[in-house]
Amino acid sequence: MADYILRRLIYMLITLFAVASILFLMFRMLPGDATLQVISPAMDEAVQQRMKAAFGLDKPLLQQYFIYLKNLVTMEWGRSFVTAQEVTAIVSYRFWNTLLLMVSGLCMTLTLGIGLGIIMAWKRNSPLDIGGTVVGLIFQAAPPFITGLLLLMTLSYRLGLFPTGGMYPAGARPDSIFGLLLMPAFWERIVLPTFTVGMYYLATPLLVMRDSMLEVLGSDYIELARAKGLKSSVIMFRHAARNALLGVVTLASILVGFAVGGQVVVESLFSWPGMGQLMVESAASHDYPVAQGTFLMLAILVIGLNFITDILYSYLDPRIKVSAEGISR
Amino acid sequence: MSNNRVLRVKNLNVRYQTQQGPVHAVNDVSFDVFQDEVFGIAGESGCGKSTLIRALMRLLPDSAEVTANEITLSGQNLESMPERRFREEVLWSKMSLVPQSAMNSLNPVYRVGNQIMEAIQAHSSKTNAQARERTAHLFDIVGLQPDLMDNYPHEFSGGMRQRAMIAMSLALDPGLIIMDEPTTGLDVLVQERILRRIREIREEISSSIILITHDIAVIAEMSDRIAVMYGGYFMEQATAIDLFETPSHPYTLGLKNAFPSIRRKGQELISIPGSPPTLIGECKGCPFWERCPFSVEHCSNETPAIEKLAQYHEVRCFRHKDTPQLRELASKKGTWLSLD
Ligand SMILES: Nc1ncnc2c1ncn2[C@@H]1O[C@H](COP(=O)(O)OP(=O)(O)OP(=O)(O)O)[C@@H](O)[C@H]1O
Ligand code: SF4
Ligand SMILES: [Mg+2]
Repeated sequence: MADYILRRLIYMLITLFAVASILFLMFRMLPGDATLQVISPAMDEAVQQRMKAAFGLDKPLLQQYFIYLKNLVTMEWGRSFVTAQEVTAIVSYRFWNTLLLMVSGLCMTLTLGIGLGIIMAWKRNSPLDIGGTVVGLIFQAAPPFITGLLLLMTLSYRLGLFPTGGMYPAGARPDSIFGLLLMPAFWERIVLPTFTVGMYYLATPLLVMRDSMLEVLGSDYIELARAKGLKSSVIMFRHAARNALLGVVTLASILVGFAVGGQVVVESLFSWPGMGQLMVESAASHDYPVAQGTFLMLAILVIGLNFITDILYSYLDPRIKVSAEGISR
Repeated sequence: MSNNRVLRVKNLNVRYQTQQGPVHAVNDVSFDVFQDEVFGIAGESGCGKSTLIRALMRLLPDSAEVTANEITLSGQNLESMPERRFREEVLWSKMSLVPQSAMNSLNPVYRVGNQIMEAIQAHSSKTNAQARERTAHLFDIVGLQPDLMDNYPHEFSGGMRQRAMIAMSLALDPGLIIMDEPTTGLDVLVQERILRRIREIREEISSSIILITHDIAVIAEMSDRIAVMYGGYFMEQATAIDLFETPSHPYTLGLKNAFPSIRRKGQELISIPGSPPTLIGECKGCPFWERCPFSVEHCSNETPAIEKLAQYHEVRCFRHKDTPQLRELASKKGTWLSLD
């Protein structure tokens, strides 16, 4: 097991390295010179040269790349072109906000998808089964932007049931993440965005769970479980769902990647101060260091969540550990 | 053979409703299983063997319709028994199964020993320690090292999984163990060892066994009494000795003819020209008539009734009175080749 985790960790580092390298290239190949934001051509030629040297831009590309990698590791991600704040400071604050919303959205998608998928397979072809499929597909077809907007218009503006956005009331910024989690106002505000992303991605785990349940229910070990005289709830949950779950966990790592897309939309819509919103803002204001930091942090988030799903999968499926042991006849 | 009856089945029928029409998978099957005996059911693939035992264990899908005049297990009427009682009091504790696909019947995500403990604990109030001890003992009985209990199914070979399944079937000392082709899919050597183990176990336990197979050599070697199944019907039923010394049904004669030496293992029962009926739609006449070299006119539109030839010897054929003559003819090659 430790072996497996170590291997996964190494893969994770390699992926991160690749993402960082792609980012490096991307920001240098993007149309338009990023340095124009800071080093204006209107300045004196000598000043321009000096500034380029100060930023290390006079060095060969390969050397710049190594410096870039070194700075990444040592957490020197530069300063915002706009506010001159440390990128790491901006991004790390946003990181937790995004993580909170993303995890709560994924939790909703997965628990609802898995739970409902089990029941739908159990009561196959019942109105619940059909209704569940239809609802899942409707929310998948509707862009989260529309769903979120409708929710805001009805539940927030019209009925006043939920705040219209943000993470906490203006001026009540908590000093730590724990302070935030203790605020009822925070929980009030996370409901709508969570629901919006949660429902958007619901159809996939729901239908995958339902289908793999149906497949598992037709398998030989389920027939044996029935022959053993086990209760149908035990057969459903302990024997069938446990196996069907494997399919959904594999899917979850893909879902994590997709979730970033929905995250950007929902954060902008609900003024959620996360990385999705930051990404849009920094791109709009050509704040390259911040944009780069945001991309990187999002990549770390996705890769990290993937790592967790991998570990979870290996825990759920004993066959993953085959190589370690081995049995002779 | 004691006269203590464990199982009685009378006039069992199973129909599957399908898009192509009803499939008559089991037709008018009646038999008894006595204490301590091995009752063999032999028949080609698709003749309804597994359907029959699924009907007994109530494992059939909703598309299957079961009717019977009587199903009694150890004196209890199973037909009228409510679902819950059947599950709690009959399944596994009185009637257990070694399924046809024993290789894939263990849940891949749980340890083998725990799956046996689960069966024990579902039907008794044994503590974990007691159930574990019992499982270790069962492993020992079937020739598996008890310390393999904590392995997962994928760490077992096919033969080991088969043994584990047999161990599980013994867990609650059921009166009846149904083994559905317990050796198919295993190589001949492993098959031999498993069969030997089953024979040894028979000496130690008092369970009766229904042994299903399409390997005539296996059935001849293991069974006290044998039923020959064809097209959903039991065509002939006899003690093993009677069946091989005085076979009486044309189908049995054809099989026997195809297997001059029943000691050779691994051969299947398909050597009579033609193929078995599909069982779809209303079954008219004797199911064997299209392949039968001895068929007479009414064979194709009337179903023959069961005739009793001796105690424990029954045959379903209109020409049951001509058997000596048919036996003579059946041993000649030309009889079977003359069919097209
Ligand atoms: N769920 C089902 N729905 C419809 N028809 C079925 C179903 N299960 C089995 N049958 C049909 O019923 C007949 C008997 O099948 P069964 O599995 O009982 O045969 P078998 O004797 O056990 O064969 P094998 O030796 O291949 O296991 C076959 O014609 C099969 O196609
Ligand atoms: S009833 Fe007729 S067709 Fe059927 S086995 Fe007897 S002789 Fe052959
Ligand atoms: Mg079968």
